[in-house]
Amino acid sequence: MKLGYKTFVRCCVAVIVCCLLSSCYTVRLKNVYGDPEPDPFNDATDYYRYMKVREIDTTIKISVTDKDFTKLIKDCSEGIYIMEYRNTFGGILLSAVTFGRKRKVKAKYVCLKPTN
Amino acid sequence: MATTKSHPKSSWDTLHNNGPFPLKTLHVTELEGSANMFSKYDRYNDAAKEIQRLIREAADKNEGFRAYGSAWSLSHIAHQKDNMHFNSFMSIHIPIPQELSHENSSYANENLFFFECGNTIKRISEVLSSHGKSLKTSGASNGQTIAGCISTGVHGAALNVGSIQDYVVGLNLIIGDKPTDIVYLERHTQPALNDDFAKKIKAKVIRNDHLFNAALVGLGAFGFIHGVVIEAEDRFLLKRYVKKIPKDLALQLADTMDFKNSTFKIDGEVDADGKPLRPYHYKVFINPYTNDNEYVVEVMYKKPYQVPYPDPFPVIKTSLYKDLIYLLIKISEKFPKSIPWFIKQLRKTILPAVDEETLGTLYETFWDAPYQGPAFACSVGIDHTNSSKAYKVLEEMTQKEGPIPGIFAMRFVKQTEATLGFTKFPITCMLEIDGVLWEKSRKIMSLTEYSRRMIEVLQENDIPFTIHWGKNSDWKFPNLVNDMFGEKVAEWKSYRNGLLSTEMQQVFSNGFLEDTNLHLPNNTNDEDLIVSL
Repeated sequence: MKLGYKTFVRCCVAVIVCCLLSSCYTVRLKNVYGDPEPDPFNDATDYYRYMKVREIDTTIKISVTDKDFTKLIKDCSEGIYIMEYRNTFGGILLSAVTFGRKRKVKAKYVCLKPTN
Repeated sequence: MATTKSHPKSSWDTLHNNGPFPLKTLHVTELEGSANMFSKYDRYNDAAKEIQRLIREAADKNEGFRAYGSAWSLSHIAHQKDNMHFNSFMSIHIPIPQELSHENSSYANENLFFFECGNTIKRISEVLSSHGKSLKTSGASNGQTIAGCISTGVHGAALNVGSIQDYVVGLNLIIGDKPTDIVYLERHTQPALNDDFAKKIKAKVIRNDHLFNAALVGLGAFGFIHGVVIEAEDRFLLKRYVKKIPKDLALQLADTMDFKNSTFKIDGEVDADGKPLRPYHYKVFINPYTNDNEYVVEVMYKKPYQVPYPDPFPVIKTSLYKDLIYLLIKISEKFPKSIPWFIKQLRKTILPAVDEETLGTLYETFWDAPYQGPAFACSVGIDHTNSSKAYKVLEEMTQKEGPIPGIFAMRFVKQTEATLGFTKFPITCMLEIDGVLWEKSRKIMSLTEYSRRMIEVLQENDIPFTIHWGKNSDWKFPNLVNDMFGEKVAEWKSYRNGLLSTEMQQVFSNGFLEDTNLHLPNNTNDEDLIVSL
C-alpha cells in the first residue's frame, strides 16, 4: 500500500514537472529582411552567436482597468531583426494570482544592422 | 572621423567553432555618422585613413593585421594572431553614375555597383533588388561579407556563371599607410570605371589583368580590401526542383554536364525540340553510408522576373535541439559505427524534401543559414569529368577508414580567372563533405587526419584537385598549394611581391599563409609587373 502511495506521489511530481516544463517555451519572430546587428564579442554557442542581443527581463505593473500595455523599444533605430519571447510558468502564475496586474516580460531581441 | 575601438582579446573563433585561435587585439571600426559627414565618398575616404593608421600601428609593433567580416570560413584563413579587424560596420554602398564609367567599358553602367568591404551578400542583394538587379550567384547562404567571399573564393552551384569573385570588376585595396598605398585595380582588357572614380576614392589606378586576377582571390594577403565594384544583372527567378534520380544518371550528368542528351527531364524544362534544358544550378546530395540506388539532386532553372509568384519563404522554420546533436556526436565519438544510423534518422533534417518545388529570386532561394552548432566542411575542387571517379575513391576511403559524421554533396562551378581560384577547371565539381564537428577518439580519426586522407587518396589516384580556401583541410600537407596550382603560385607571389612592400607582406601574413607556404615571396622581384597596361 505504502509503495503504491509513493508511486502515486512520484507520478504526480513527474506530471507537475512535465506541466511546468511544457509551460515554459520560447517563440522567435524573425524579420525576413536585413542583417542582424553584429557583436564580435558574443561568443555564445546558441542561435545568437555573434549577434548583438538585448534583453528585457522585468515585471510590468498595470491597473485593473488596463487591458494591456505596450513596452517601447528605444534602441533599435533601424528596426528589429529578431524578437524572442519567453513564456514561463512563473510568469503565468504571477499574472493569475495578481488578476493580471503584474505581468512578467522576458524577451530578447536583435536590432537590424545599421546601414551606411 | 571613423573611430576604432581596440579590445584586448585572448582568443577568436569562427562562426562554426573551428577554433579557438589565439589573439592579442580585436579592432572594431565604425564610420563617421552621415549627419556629420554627408558625402559617402568623404566617409569612405575617412575610413580608409583610419585603416591606414591601424596598419601603421601594427607594422610599428612588428605585428600582423587582418580583416574579417562574418567569420564564416571554417579554415584558419581569417585568423591573425596579433591584430584582427572586424569590418562588418564598414558597409557603405555608392551608386555609380554614367560619367564614372570607363570609355572602353563593356559593362552596362546600370549594372555596376560599388560596395564597401563589410557589406554582406544579403545586404548587397537587397540594395540590388531595390534597383531591379541581382547578384549573378551566391554561396548556399547570404551572411558572408563581400570581401570575405572573394578572398576565399565562395561559390554556389551556378555551372554557367562562376564564383562570387567572377563578377567583381574593380578592387580597392589599402596596401600600406602612405597616400600612394590606396590602389584601385581593374583588368586592363575589361576596364569598368574611369580615373575620376579612382580620384574620388583617392586611389592610384592600376589596370592590369594579371595583377587583378592575382589579387582577386587574395587570401587576405594583398592588403585590406576596402571596396569592390561588382557587375550585377537584371533580377531573375529561380525555379527549384528537388528530385530523386538513379545514382548512375546523377553521376553521368556530373561527369558530362550533358543535360541536353540526358534522360533526366523535368516537365516544362525543355527546349523547343523537347530536349532537357541546361539548368542554372545542379547539386547532388550523397549519403556515403547507404546503398541507395538513387541520389537526391537539386536543380534550378533561371526564369525571367515577374510578379506575382508564390511566397518562397516557409512561415515556420524549426531547428533540432542542439543538445541532441551534441549527444549524438558524443555517442559517435565512442561508437563511430552508429554514425550511419544517426544520419539515416536525421535525413529529413539534413536533406531537402524530395519533390519540393519553389520559385524565388536568388536572394530568396539562398537565404539565411543560422548558427546550428560546431560544424566542419571539407571541399575539394576537381574537373567535373572526374566527378564520379573522385567520389568513388573518397567514398571508399570514408567507408573503410570512417565513418565520419557528414554527408557528401557535389556542386558545379564555371572556371574562374583568379590566379589562385580553386574553381580552376573549365567546370569545377566542388565535392564536399559537411557535417557536425567531432573530436578524435580511439575509434574515430581527427578531422585533420580525415582531410589528409582526402588529399592522399586523390593524389594516389592521379586526380588533379584544389581545396576550398575557406574550408577544413590539412593545410600543412607538404607541397599542397604547389601541387594544386603549379606555376600559378609563383605568379601569385610575384604580383603580391610587386604590389606590397616587404614590411606590408609581413603585416598581411598569417598562420594560414605560413602553413601553406604562401607567405614567402619569390626570390626574384620584377619591378615592371605592377604597371597599368
